[in-house]
Amino acid sequence: MTEELLVELRHIHKVFTTRHLFPVDEDTRKRRFFKRRNVSAADDVTFGIQRGEIFGLLGPNGAGKTTMVKMISGLVRPDKGQALVDGLDVDKKRKQVLRRVGVVLEGTRTSIWPLTPLENLVYYGMLKDVRGPILKQRAHDLLDFIGLKDKKNVQVRRLSRGQKQKLAICIALIADPQVLLLDEPTTGLDVQSSRAIKDKVMEMTRHQGRSVLVTTHDMHVAQELCDRIGIINHGRLVACKRTEELLDVFSEQIFVFKVERPPAPEAFMELPGVVRTEVEEGLDGPALVAHLTPELEPRSAALYGLTRKLEQDGYQLRAITQRQQNLESIFLRLTASDQPSE
Amino acid sequence: MSFLLVMKAEIVRSFIIMRRYWFRTLTGMVIGYGMLMVLIAGFIYSRPGIEEGLSRFDDPTAATNFVLGFIIGMYAFGVVGMFTQGLQGMAATGVLEQLCMSPHGLAVNFLAQTVVGSVASVLSSGIMVFAVTWSVGGMLHWDTIPILVLLTLTFFNLVGFGFMVGGLVLVFKQVGQMAILLRMGLFALAVFAREEILNQPWPLAFILHMLPITDATICLKYVLIKNQMTTITAVNGEPIEVFRSVFLYPSFYWLIASCVLWTVIGLVVFRFMEDYSRSKGTLGSY
Repeated sequence: MTEELLVELRHIHKVFTTRHLFPVDEDTRKRRFFKRRNVSAADDVTFGIQRGEIFGLLGPNGAGKTTMVKMISGLVRPDKGQALVDGLDVDKKRKQVLRRVGVVLEGTRTSIWPLTPLENLVYYGMLKDVRGPILKQRAHDLLDFIGLKDKKNVQVRRLSRGQKQKLAICIALIADPQVLLLDEPTTGLDVQSSRAIKDKVMEMTRHQGRSVLVTTHDMHVAQELCDRIGIINHGRLVACKRTEELLDVFSEQIFVFKVERPPAPEAFMELPGVVRTEVEEGLDGPALVAHLTPELEPRSAALYGLTRKLEQDGYQLRAITQRQQNLESIFLRLTASDQPSE
Repeated sequence: MSFLLVMKAEIVRSFIIMRRYWFRTLTGMVIGYGMLMVLIAGFIYSRPGIEEGLSRFDDPTAATNFVLGFIIGMYAFGVVGMFTQGLQGMAATGVLEQLCMSPHGLAVNFLAQTVVGSVASVLSSGIMVFAVTWSVGGMLHWDTIPILVLLTLTFFNLVGFGFMVGGLVLVFKQVGQMAILLRMGLFALAVFAREEILNQPWPLAFILHMLPITDATICLKYVLIKNQMTTITAVNGEPIEVFRSVFLYPSFYWLIASCVLWTVIGLVVFRFMEDYSRSKGTLGSY
């Protein structure tokens, strides 16, 4: 199994310490002289990315996604644990690792704006040890592949945000790396640019056999793009599964029962097949939201049981609708239940 | 080999930017020359009440001495600035992160950038030195080999110092502002450096020798202004001027010593700070 993994993080720990002079104490609201705060960016994180796989790292802001990317690319050293690329320890064999990895970090400012896309690619290619006719050919091929061929001689400062992001991906690919790390590749892009980048990432993984790590907080990007997804919150990897498995495991069926007055949710919890219940106040009145087990038979039983109990308790049932479960709701549930420990 | 490839990349990048922003390049040189001329003229003509000032700058050799010090100071200011302000600028634009992820390493990339930046700086400074000294009626004595050797040693001296300050900037971002003061100190030292300032009690004299620009400036002034001529007392007691190569000049050996010292200190501090910055997670960001 290990041989198949191109990128591997093993029991990674990382704590960042921030120091503040004269901060305001959150409890007493008084100003203190000095405060030191530890923020966990990685807490025993272990995962791997297989060859030709797109792995998504999902998490809210400050969860530790970018730190993971920086650890794989050698920009940040873990306090404990090991990051490996193609079996090479990132910390000990950084030069060799950097020849295998291409990184896009907040892409739009990666490129040198007074230069054109072609000049940027030649410049960064030389910095990454690519030279001669291979470099020029690859630069042209990449611009052609990403759809910037007609902009190759336009200064980067004149390009749109999406075009700059595409160029950042080309820069990351100029040394023909086996692993591509994309940190929030579609953030701030319009629908077309976002779509184009997703398509290109798919293409370079499926047809060119690269492994890609995508960090994002956009559920649609993760759901559409990734073969596997890791959900990270406060430095902890709270889930790591194949995308469809993740959707499946958490695919509780949610049913919304619209009623004329708010019911007591705990009264329905004892019914078989009911996972949990809550009350929502909508514009069109209250509703009982019931999360039911995914298995068909107990779910059907629970559905009938809920309807019957509502009628028995004197509630007037106005409508029953099924709510679609997606990655976003899974993500919210997982991250909400994973509060940081002080 | 990898250093040459990185340097080639830097030359191409600098040349493209200079060519693309030709008006800025040209006006930069014109403004530099103009500023120097105004400064010299100001010293010569605008201080009639200060006899000392007048007596110093009425003499073309003294004016040349001052101008040369000024240019060397600007050079020192620029080279060290490439490490401090350059680092901050690249960090702010995100380019630094890419350089950190280059297999050649940050130190090699930075050295190449500085070499290329300095070539342009040496060329433009050279033109300005000649233009300004000619304008104020002074003379410079060109001796190719000693000047190339001195410039190379001066460069590595400043690069070593720059690496040290740059390394500190990688971790302690606010050192960048302190570095401006250090650069101004180097600039002032270059302007006023002459043999006489070394006549101090030994601890102070030693510190002056070890500063990265003192002996470099003294040696360059010795070649360019004094034409490597030194005054000795003849048998009859009369002072006479004789040629003594800069390679036999005491400041030259101090220059070599400080060059070795700063290069070693600079590279060690930079490597250590780069490593520490990696642990702290601040590498490439500002």
